[in-house]
Amino acid sequence: MSKKTQEELDRWSKEVKRGAVTLAILALLSKRRAYGYEAVKLLDEKMSFLALEQGTVYPLLRRLEKRELLLSEWDYEDPTKPKKYYAVTEEGLKALGAMTQTWSVLSREMRDVIMEVE
Amino acid sequence: MSSNDPLELIDQYLDRVRVYLPLDSEDTIVELQTHLIEEAERIGGGTMTAGSAMMAIERMGDPKSVAHEYAGSGEKVGPVPAEYVSPVSRMLVVLAGVALALIVGASMIGVTLSEVFGANIQNWPFSIPVMILINLAIIFVIIGGISLLDRSKPLTEKTVLESFFGIGVEGFKPKGRVEALGDLVMGILWGLILMVPFAVPLYTVAFRAVAIYVVVFLFLGAIRGLLFFIGGENNFNLAVEGILSVVWIAIAVVLINVGWPLQYAYVYDGGAWTTFDLVEFFQTHSIPFIPFDWIWAFVMFVTIAIAVWRIIVSSMKITMHLRAGRGIWWQGNWGKRRRLKRPFWKRIIGDQFPELTGSTYHDGYKEPDESQ
Repeated sequence: MSKKTQEELDRWSKEVKRGAVTLAILALLSKRRAYGYEAVKLLDEKMSFLALEQGTVYPLLRRLEKRELLLSEWDYEDPTKPKKYYAVTEEGLKALGAMTQTWSVLSREMRDVIMEVE
Repeated sequence: MSSNDPLELIDQYLDRVRVYLPLDSEDTIVELQTHLIEEAERIGGGTMTAGSAMMAIERMGDPKSVAHEYAGSGEKVGPVPAEYVSPVSRMLVVLAGVALALIVGASMIGVTLSEVFGANIQNWPFSIPVMILINLAIIFVIIGGISLLDRSKPLTEKTVLESFFGIGVEGFKPKGRVEALGDLVMGILWGLILMVPFAVPLYTVAFRAVAIYVVVFLFLGAIRGLLFFIGGENNFNLAVEGILSVVWIAIAVVLINVGWPLQYAYVYDGGAWTTFDLVEFFQTHSIPFIPFDWIWAFVMFVTIAIAVWRIIVSSMKITMHLRAGRGIWWQGNWGKRRRLKRPFWKRIIGDQFPELTGSTYHDGYKEPDESQ
């Protein structure tokens, strides 16, 4: 792959990731609540393309919480490692439903367009 | 100098991150702390070592960037780069707060600014911008110089610049639970001491008339300690602290005029305790009573300055919490404000991390020789 192509791919990947990461986090947390480190590791395991780093996940969790799509609760069970658990709110579930629907339409249409090209 | 204690390494690193974060970022710090501990444990195969902690820290990256990524360090303000907005503004608030606290304290005990600085300020008020510009130039030269010294420091070690920017971080930290317990115990203890029948006869007539208000205030201070002990830092407790500080300033106005509170002292006189008139002794021997008045003025000055500082911090924090949509009462975050460092007694009794005694760890990390 040429340097120019690689640069283009990097730029495009960044743009795709930006939209996908919110959906990924909401989808993940809709199944079970998770604390920051747990969410980072789960996303890391399941989403190789996103390759999310902690520096992306934590601010996003905070932004989603601010937008009331997530709510958080501190767990002090282990006092040496207090955990801030995040879970999806009712509003978050509605947003997730709408996003999933749109994503399905987008991926189907993209597949069709790409198949035409191929 | 870097420590061999993994928790201490994480603590030192987070202290650096804290410098660049806004005031209300304790949650972020605790979240990062848990992340680093878990990551260090994962790297160390279930055991946290100094090596695994260092690797976790290195993976997290430069404290300035981390603060910027995690919480957003604000936007660029004038010539101040975005990542320095929080520390610079906090430092300015601290300097203004300390100046205000000292000025109020000094003026209440009857010292004017012209007495402190002299009355020879020339070209007032045009000298102000000139002085600010000169000082800014000096600051830029100093910052440039000390930045050169910070180039090869490890991630866990605060740079000189960060130490400078970190001024005031301590002043804004929530009250610790032990400190709250101290307020509770000392408030009750001093309240009782002031009331005991053996103490009351020692007071001057003027202080005896107001002693009960001081006692009531001390007990109120104990209640404040209890509230912080139970609920940590929340708007209710901060409001109590702010109100009590205002009340103290009002009481202090009276106490300054009352003067030194003790007229007598107990002396052992051939088998019995008797009272000794301090004031009379000084007067009959023509010794000025000034040292006691100075001590009293100094005590009042310090307590008033602390009260003013508490009013500033409480009102800032209440505004900050209200903006964040928090109510009046919630379980505050003293619980998250513990030091990661092992307490002294644990270090004496035994090491929680025996794996730290060696210099090479199973993850391959080799401790630097600190003696070098």
